[in-house]
Amino acid sequence: MKKSPTHVPPEWQWPAHGQVRIYVWQWPVRAAHWIIFVTIISLSFTGYYMHSPFVTPHGKTAYLMGTMRFVHLLSGFVFLAAVLVRIIWMFIGNRWSRWDQFIPTTKARIKDFLATGRYYGYMSWAPPRHIGHNAIAGFSYAAVYGMAVVEILTGLALLSNVLGNRTLAFFIGWLPRLIDLQWLREIHFLVMFGLWSFFVYHVYMAMLVSVEEENGVMESIFTGYKFLSESELRQAKTEVDGTGNQQLVDHVHRSECGEYHGGDSPPASGM
Amino acid sequence: MTAPTCGVPAALQVRGVSRREFVRFCSSMAATLALPPKYLGVIASALAKADRPILVWLEFQDCAGNSESMLRSSNPPVTEFVLDLLSWEYHELLMAGAGKQAEDALERVVREHAGQYIAVVEGAIPTADGGVYCTIGGKTALDIAKHVCSNAVANIAVGACAWDGGLVRSNPNPTGALGLQDAVPGLKNLINLGGCPHNPANTAAVLVHYLTFHELPALDEYRRPLFAYGDIIHDQCERRAHYDAGRFVEEWGDEGHRKGYCLYKMGCKGPEATYNCPTVRWNDGTSWPVKAGHGCIACASHRFWDTKSPFYRRLPSVPGFGVDVTADQIGWGITGLAVTAMAAQVVGDIVRDKVKARKENAETPEPPQSRQA
Ligand code: SF4
Repeated sequence: MKKSPTHVPPEWQWPAHGQVRIYVWQWPVRAAHWIIFVTIISLSFTGYYMHSPFVTPHGKTAYLMGTMRFVHLLSGFVFLAAVLVRIIWMFIGNRWSRWDQFIPTTKARIKDFLATGRYYGYMSWAPPRHIGHNAIAGFSYAAVYGMAVVEILTGLALLSNVLGNRTLAFFIGWLPRLIDLQWLREIHFLVMFGLWSFFVYHVYMAMLVSVEEENGVMESIFTGYKFLSESELRQAKTEVDGTGNQQLVDHVHRSECGEYHGGDSPPASGM
Repeated sequence: MTAPTCGVPAALQVRGVSRREFVRFCSSMAATLALPPKYLGVIASALAKADRPILVWLEFQDCAGNSESMLRSSNPPVTEFVLDLLSWEYHELLMAGAGKQAEDALERVVREHAGQYIAVVEGAIPTADGGVYCTIGGKTALDIAKHVCSNAVANIAVGACAWDGGLVRSNPNPTGALGLQDAVPGLKNLINLGGCPHNPANTAAVLVHYLTFHELPALDEYRRPLFAYGDIIHDQCERRAHYDAGRFVEEWGDEGHRKGYCLYKMGCKGPEATYNCPTVRWNDGTSWPVKAGHGCIACASHRFWDTKSPFYRRLPSVPGFGVDVTADQIGWGITGLAVTAMAAQVVGDIVRDKVKARKENAETPEPPQSRQA
């Protein structure tokens, strides 16, 4: 039997009473996120095998290392494409995917960085609330992009050594001249563990924020939508209007419970 | 001393080298230089007409391994040809003269044939403390190199030490050793033949190329000839099929080692090294290290002692962690720390929630039951 929403007890309503749904992560952001997720897994698996082959195949026609290298290269270029798309999107996307979400440049962001730090460091009871990334999360993503760029550059340099391709060597040839191939390999390998460490923390922090802020951050990376209360929305809106950026308003969509259509009228208060 | 006027055919005849042997040598040189067969005739006629240019071979901080390597090759008799194609006026290891006599011979070449002779340098050149760590006849290696090499028509640095300093320059380099190109910058017609030692077939091929075309072969960014240093060892290796299949030697002398599996896991540096070692080979083309069952140590790569060691591991030791700690251990350690930190954070967050809930309960006033009663 399908229950109508009125039968759902109020504390189980989703989004909760008085919340609005807001379109935060546009599709290129989500697509890049998941492509990067999948390729990091396949790159790590094949890359670890290429570093230290942990299985021995049987049979006369085995081509295991060859296959691993092929998958690694393929995943590498898909990863490169996804990271490039995401970096381009930092300049043309909505306000929550912009580059300034990753590097705290304004006073407000620095304040937020400290406030979030106080929460993570058990010096406050509740996390500061955000529509996009909090400043610490954003900063950790900047580190991830840094690691991604290191992996891409060292990977391309190692590939250009394998291919002997002049065009590729023209673009990346300066790197092996600066740092020896062996050390590029070492960096390429060690940074992988940095990404793993980030992965561990990232998943937990997403769960923590999802539970503590009750803003649907976990679901948002699938759907693009997050939830926030009307007062927060109003506050964010004034902030946005102050800078003349209307994008926030454009991305607030009708939601089941907190009806808000965007536009100039204040959000309808609850039901 | 042989007068440089005596031509190659005459010199070969004196040695009793037949025309057949001569042509065989020329064709093997054409093959080493990766030249098409039509150049065989060009090489043969050019060498027959060659005027036996003078060559001086300088040894500085070296082990004489490159000279020895040159002498050990016998079939095709590279040594004979190289010794006969050129008029060797100075080579400490080979020459009969000694002391002042020998030094005078060198001096005479520089004085009388400036701009005509070929200088071969073997060994690194120390620069620390005024170059006192290598002196010959009271002169420092640096002075000799400057004097002799800057007057040569072409300079050939043979072996890792003469190219980039090699073993002598490797960390911590107490003598301030440098390769020829760094010790005497701006030398014209310099060609580096790295390798520990150099492969005499390549050196002979460079000389033949020079005698035939009167110029050096195409060079890479390290001034090494592309015909010898242009291809990755890994791409020419006979164990490569095992690599692609995923069959590796796990331990010296194990089943895989006996079957000739790939030496990648034993630290073979073939994938990052370039050289024509697998095709030209050693000891008259008999074998080369990987064929003999030992991983490549990338001896023809730039500063290989520092950059490619440890030779029996895939990756270098991470600085600051001691040589026994591998990159794998460090990587897993980092990840383990992250997991531990995260677990601590989970516990902390649970505790915070509990404390918070208790605090809020305490602050909420008890429902005024008395009023209801
Ligand atoms: S033995 Fe060395 S060079 Fe040969 S295939 Fe294996 S890794 Fe490559």
